[in-house]
Amino acid sequence: MRQDRTGQGGSAWPWLAPALMMLGVFYLVPVLDVLRLAFTDATLLRGSSGATLRTITETWSDERLPLILRNTGVYVAGAVAGLTLTGLGVALLLVRAERRGLWLAGPLRVIVLTAWIVPGVANGILWQMILSEAPFGALNSALGMAGVAPVRWLSDPQMAMVSVLIATLWQGTAFAMIVLYAARARIDPTLYEAAEMDGAGPVMRFLHITLPQMRAALVVNAILLTIQTLNGFDIIIALTGGGPGQATEVLSLNIYNRVFVSFDLAGGAALALLLLVVAMVLTLLWLRSLRRDAA
Amino acid sequence: MTRLGDILTWALGLLIAAVFLAPLAWLLSLALRTPAEVYLGAARFIPEAPTLANFAQVLGDGAFPRYLWNGVKLSVAGAALAVLLATPAAWAFSRRPPRHGERLLLAILALQMVSPLVLMLPLYRWFDRLGLLDTHIAVILVLAALGLPLSVWLVKLGFDAIPRALDDAAAIDGAGAFASFREISLPLALPSIASAFLLSMIAGWGQFLVPFILLSKDSTLPVSVAIFQYAGSTSASTTQVLAAAAMLAILPALALFLVLQRAITRALTSGTISAQG
Repeated sequence: MRQDRTGQGGSAWPWLAPALMMLGVFYLVPVLDVLRLAFTDATLLRGSSGATLRTITETWSDERLPLILRNTGVYVAGAVAGLTLTGLGVALLLVRAERRGLWLAGPLRVIVLTAWIVPGVANGILWQMILSEAPFGALNSALGMAGVAPVRWLSDPQMAMVSVLIATLWQGTAFAMIVLYAARARIDPTLYEAAEMDGAGPVMRFLHITLPQMRAALVVNAILLTIQTLNGFDIIIALTGGGPGQATEVLSLNIYNRVFVSFDLAGGAALALLLLVVAMVLTLLWLRSLRRDAA
Repeated sequence: MTRLGDILTWALGLLIAAVFLAPLAWLLSLALRTPAEVYLGAARFIPEAPTLANFAQVLGDGAFPRYLWNGVKLSVAGAALAVLLATPAAWAFSRRPPRHGERLLLAILALQMVSPLVLMLPLYRWFDRLGLLDTHIAVILVLAALGLPLSVWLVKLGFDAIPRALDDAAAIDGAGAFASFREISLPLALPSIASAFLLSMIAGWGQFLVPFILLSKDSTLPVSVAIFQYAGSTSASTTQVLAAAAMLAILPALALFLVLQRAITRALTSGTISAQG
């Protein structure tokens, strides 16, 4: 074997090969296989009997699909908007507390991150106990003590979506907080000093320095949150199971049910394709908004 | 003015802290109650007769310690494999970038757009055909693949931060590429490798979908799947036992986080900054 004396000139591929092979086998080939399966009539129990377009046309025109897509839209939009607000709020509060030397900042960051550590399924179970509509459910019994009528957190279709979003916000705020805090910390402090000398108040400084300077981070954060909430259903399956009825059944949960409960592999693959396309389109739209802003 | 601001900051901070602590406090409260006290709801937030019987019942079951152990085994092995594969690749991306290396790195990051669920449709069939359903090796392989993209990025950032002069010095001393990787880059990049390991491990501990799909035999389940099954089989009369089980599913990750919170926060920060690069 030839010794590479400079440490620079040698080939990178032997070093990359194991990781790239792993990614190929577990990402690339499965995605291609899903693409293929969408054009078959395979079930989880038996292979396909040949290529067909019917799976795609039938699944994509399923009369329940609009409801599923609407749920997905409400959930993703609500989660991304909500998490951006809560994450930004906590991040800015942390920055202010640190600047003023308040010891609150450290413990607060740890407390918020604690929720992020909780496994998604445990999070769903936890909120099911809090939102339980039994007389001893945490929130409803607390409301009762304040003389407020019980809320149908999980049995009312609209409230169920709100409940799912509450559980998602509780867990996901930490992630958005970390992304946005790092971006806020990188803003050049002299910008604020100059603005202050020009007599700009806190609102003006937020609108004219903080927000524009954090634009890239806000978009990246939105992309990451969009993908996470679009793809994940741990919280939903444990909290509502997609119910009542199908009121909180999002696309990913629908795919899971189709394939692993109803064994409709090809139909699930056709919807998985849709999920992939939606994720890509949303990501590209976010990226484009960034480019337009920069121009 | 600034004093008033400080007071507001404190007030808001305490409110946020309360909102984020309350659900876990409620879970703990339930887990420590007797069945009779569970029915008292919020009025008995602090149990009058706190009991560890629920934890004893869960742990005495025999199956539950095994779920915990399976969870540890899967998340640790998955994270270890991810880091093992990521480190050489990250070194190459940092020290001898191939043609189109930047694009390749972006493509690796973009893989995270793909939902694990989408991957599981074909993977389930393949593992079935290989006779690997209900085996931990299948889950470990998938967890490693899921942790790989972020690990490559994190470790590459670690290598990037090491001055190149050190490699040059080693090369002058006659060290080959592998020797310089092993003797210089690797030890100096250990913190970022540890970060990648920690983040992958926490993700693996919380991962539900992959083991839920690949494992069905009770003795193979990790705790994340086990508590889901358990929640489905319990009724209101055993809420306190489920609370204790959920608490036990959260505690290992929580304890690890509290001990290593500085390192984990730093890892998370550099992970998200890498996504902004």
